[in-house]
Amino acid sequence: MQTLLRFARAYGIVLVTVLLFVLLATTTEGFATLRNFRNILDQQSTVLIAASFLTIATIAGNFDVSVSAVFVATPLVALAVENATGSVPLAVLAAVLTGAAMGLFNGIIVARFRINSFIATLATSFMFFGVGYLVSGRSLLRPIGQDYPMLARTQILGLTSSTWVSFLMVIVATILLTRTRFGRNVFATGGNPEAARIAGVNVPRVQATTFVLLSTAAAIAGVLNSSRSLSAQPSDDFSFVFSVLTAVIVGGTSIAGGQGAVWRTVAGAFFLAFLSNGFNLHQIDPIWQRLIEGMVILIAVGVDAWTQRNSK
Amino acid sequence: MLTLSGVSKHFGGVQALIDIDIAFEAGRVHALVGENGAGKSTLGKLILGIHRPSAGKVRLDGHEVAIHQPADALGLGLVGIAQELSLMPRSSVLDNIALGREVTRHGLVDRTATLKAVTGVMERFDMRLDPHAIVGTLPVAERQKVEILRALSRDARLIIFDEPTARLATYQAKQLLTLIRSLAAAGKAVIYVSHFLEEILEVADTITILRNGRLIRTGPAAAETRETLVAGVTGQNYQSQFPKRSVPPGGSAPVLRVRDLSSKGLFEGVDLNVHAGEIVGLAGLVGAGRSEVAHAIYGAAPVDSGTIEFDGKALTRRSIRQRIDAGMAIIPESRRDQALFLARPILENVSLPHLKRFSNWLGLRKRAEKQAVTASCADTSVKYTALGDHVDTLSGGNQQKILFARAALGRPRLLIADEPTRGVDVGAKRSIYEMIVRLAEQGEAILLISSEIEEIMGLCHRVVVLSRGRVAAQLSGQDLTEQAVMQAAFSGG
Repeated sequence: MQTLLRFARAYGIVLVTVLLFVLLATTTEGFATLRNFRNILDQQSTVLIAASFLTIATIAGNFDVSVSAVFVATPLVALAVENATGSVPLAVLAAVLTGAAMGLFNGIIVARFRINSFIATLATSFMFFGVGYLVSGRSLLRPIGQDYPMLARTQILGLTSSTWVSFLMVIVATILLTRTRFGRNVFATGGNPEAARIAGVNVPRVQATTFVLLSTAAAIAGVLNSSRSLSAQPSDDFSFVFSVLTAVIVGGTSIAGGQGAVWRTVAGAFFLAFLSNGFNLHQIDPIWQRLIEGMVILIAVGVDAWTQRNSK
Repeated sequence: MLTLSGVSKHFGGVQALIDIDIAFEAGRVHALVGENGAGKSTLGKLILGIHRPSAGKVRLDGHEVAIHQPADALGLGLVGIAQELSLMPRSSVLDNIALGREVTRHGLVDRTATLKAVTGVMERFDMRLDPHAIVGTLPVAERQKVEILRALSRDARLIIFDEPTARLATYQAKQLLTLIRSLAAAGKAVIYVSHFLEEILEVADTITILRNGRLIRTGPAAAETRETLVAGVTGQNYQSQFPKRSVPPGGSAPVLRVRDLSSKGLFEGVDLNVHAGEIVGLAGLVGAGRSEVAHAIYGAAPVDSGTIEFDGKALTRRSIRQRIDAGMAIIPESRRDQALFLARPILENVSLPHLKRFSNWLGLRKRAEKQAVTASCADTSVKYTALGDHVDTLSGGNQQKILFARAALGRPRLLIADEPTRGVDVGAKRSIYEMIVRLAEQGEAILLISSEIEEIMGLCHRVVVLSRGRVAAQLSGQDLTEQAVMQAAFSGG
């Protein structure tokens, strides 16, 4: 039983994703087409970018609600700069730096002042949403030049630049987590913070770094999203972080910290993408999609809780 | 009243209690003595339903009872007064005592009747406290009374006290002992667990000695003396299990020099030297401040005053990271809570503090890391199948050796080992002793903390005894006898 659970925990998500893929490919017309896959990859790119780095923050033992607010506010910063200067590099730089600064703010609050990460980032979310309203003057912003829309929409080898960026970010997150000292420290910090401290890990700095990386990634996702949709609008919309978190959790990264992997999150994201794509192609009422998604999350969290208990 | 027959308990591969037969009687104080890890607390926890026995029967008034969880024990009137009190600090004395036993009328709590019931219990046992005081504001001794009153108001028949005086001043401890006698006089069965032999001889009617999970003997307190208890608790013939001691090198400057180290409420004015190749023991009772001093030396806890010099350099205010880089290593008291990442591979657990050595601008050099970890695990005789296996698949002894492998990987100048043999079996103990002696022979300075007097006696060149946060004695050579260490430990600073 124990080994079965461990196996399910380790590779269940890949198995389920592949099964869903095969099921859809054999039963659903229009699923197994190049065009459809390109679409799925492009649609999932922003979620993948943020989810890869939320995986890291989650493994370090924290949660970040403000991913949404950074995702909403930073493209407004980018477009405000683009509108003012006409320079796309400057716009992107401004957005990324703003994202990094927001992440640092989160990191300092959580790591130094030891405030629960969920509550702290809920509070900073409202501040960051506020920044969005301030820089945009409460109105929808559009790019003035022709270059900004190309950030996400350039076709390279048949895929959008947005897709390529998401691949790159997944690879960067994977390397950080599995092949660097920082990655080891992340696992240690989330797995047993006191033991990590005793082993000489600077726990607050590791935690803060995960927040900076995550917000920077969320800013890149936000800019790509605004480039794709040719606009950015100030709002208090929290939905993005829930799509991102769902991918992380369904992938099987433990919300208790200390365990997880970026490839899991990628599998989780594609499982959800296939699911939603399948529903769309069959033209099933989206309400059913919600119900099924909710169940999938519960199953994923249930498996996690169960294995946690059994390993105690 | 309560009888245990043939009771055993093991945690994984570790035998905590082996075939225990014991009976507790109403109106008597029954003391359990033994070293840390002898099984006293485990025995208490079995009775309280915190652990379940692996084998054996428990009978109450002659009827077999099954105590599967704490609620079962409470229902039978078996109550524990723990080392860490389990009170609600922000609630009143009244609410704490009445918790779960409030008098209700029409489903609502009747505060007046509840207050009357609680004051009734206070008067009956002559323990008067202000029922409206907030528990968190009371001193420890008073809080303890709240917990005792709670037990009494639940009609406890048997009360277990686990190290109740460890955190009390002497006069408060005396009062508590008087109270415990009066509980017995009122017909309660009392189980008293303590390290303080004097207290036990004073308060107990019956004494049971436990050692390594076995019951050594049960007898009337009047038949025991301090000497017989010490002999029973430590056992004889222990020298044989220790390796031959290395000769301490003389003369050189100390690797570690601690002067006048103080941390408010924990320890005060601690002076300590450890030379290269020397094994220095830090002895004392539970709560004497040994681990706290070790943590302060390692930089894991702040100090208020004093200096720590390492290889002649002051590093009182340096971080743990800097101390590791300077050549310090620690094996913390609790490997589960303070040292290991159970759900991570052996490899990562061993190399974590030393990753800088295996990193370049491209990231980790995994092959070099693996080689070094393999070598270090071989040196410290860790038994494992693959370095990728999670640490929680290993036995307690091997988990402990992982920590030695981790320390050895950094080739430290000073190793602080805090209870390095806790919860490991006899074989692993022996190999850990050998490891410590070998490391000292290789020139490491070793600071060994142990609650097992036999370890201290069998391994150390010199012993610093702490008592209530102060250095009570520094013993070496001819002066270093078990008697002297115990005397100093019990001296009260």
